[in-house]
Amino acid sequence: MGGIGVRRDEGILRTLLGSCIGVALYERRLKLIGLAHIVMPNSMGRTDALGKYADTAIPETIRQLLKVANAQRLELSAKIAGGANMFANVSTNSKNSIGEQNTVAVENALKKWNIPITARHLGGSSGRRMVVQLPTGAVQIHVVGQTVVEI
Amino acid sequence: MMTLSQPQMEQLTELFRCGASDASQALSVWLGRHASVCVDQLKQFNLEEATDSLGPADATLCACIMGVTGGISGQMLFCFDDESGLLLCDVLLGRDGVVGRDGVATEWGELETSSAMETANIVGCAYLNSLANAMPSFSSPVADYLGKTSHVWVPTPPQFVRDFAASILQFAVMNQAAEFDTVLVAQTRFQIDDQPVAWTLLLIPDANSLTSIINSTTAPRP
Repeated sequence: MGGIGVRRDEGILRTLLGSCIGVALYERRLKLIGLAHIVMPNSMGRTDALGKYADTAIPETIRQLLKVANAQRLELSAKIAGGANMFANVSTNSKNSIGEQNTVAVENALKKWNIPITARHLGGSSGRRMVVQLPTGAVQIHVVGQTVVEI
Repeated sequence: MMTLSQPQMEQLTELFRCGASDASQALSVWLGRHASVCVDQLKQFNLEEATDSLGPADATLCACIMGVTGGISGQMLFCFDDESGLLLCDVLLGRDGVVGRDGVATEWGELETSSAMETANIVGCAYLNSLANAMPSFSSPVADYLGKTSHVWVPTPPQFVRDFAASILQFAVMNQAAEFDTVLVAQTRFQIDDQPVAWTLLLIPDANSLTSIINSTTAPRP
């Protein structure tokens, strides 16, 4: 939870999601990918866990990608997944679920950084395993009891 | 970062153990077998490690989850893998379920799901009631609003899910994770007929409740 991973050339990055959002930032030309596991929508100015919040995780992932790319110009696109409301019946918050809040915050943060979202797999009531593959940037979504989906 | 000292952890562990005795009795009556529930550990996890507290993060796990309101608010989870959960159903439904042997039930139908949720309800309520009575009094906004003492803890009806272990834990620790970079989990283990079974009861207070509990246990007693 709240982690960021960056990988280049080949291999996979993966994360498990409930109400959290996985954001895969892909640079096709450099075969470079960053995956952030965002837990909460807003840092409220906190700077101690940059990967945890939508408003800080996106710039921090970009910073880490730039470092691996030796500061070359990045043309990023995003695929996002998660944001489930798994236990609606026992949640004490009847307004927007944390999953919905995370989704809105991530979409706003990506818009702010002019990063287009090319695929989404969001909402519902089930957890997800998000697997990001290099060099293609393909993202597989695994849900317990369902067929694997590629986005 | 909220880090508890060793004496604080020991004091809290003792409190959580108070709930286990009544839960053991309730489970024994419910199953018609000798059953014991013991507080295995009270653990503080870094956020990155929290989702591993139930085993491999991507293992498929079943959970009956109940919200808790009143004197404290938070989540209580009764978790088990398929094999252990279906064994519980066999025992309850008189299907010759024997710990350590393959059971009869092979999938989660309505009967099995209902059995698991009722077990969670019985064990969870006994555990919560006992624990609530053992806790020192503390100020609670919800309890104050309701005109109740902090000793009244009210669970919601359980909800059954079968999902990735990490996804289930994420939901349960979310409120603590919003405030802290660590999460505190009270983990309880079970034995039936003196054989360990892979069921786990987790109580995860919300951030505000956790702060109240910690303050109440460390404040000087009159």
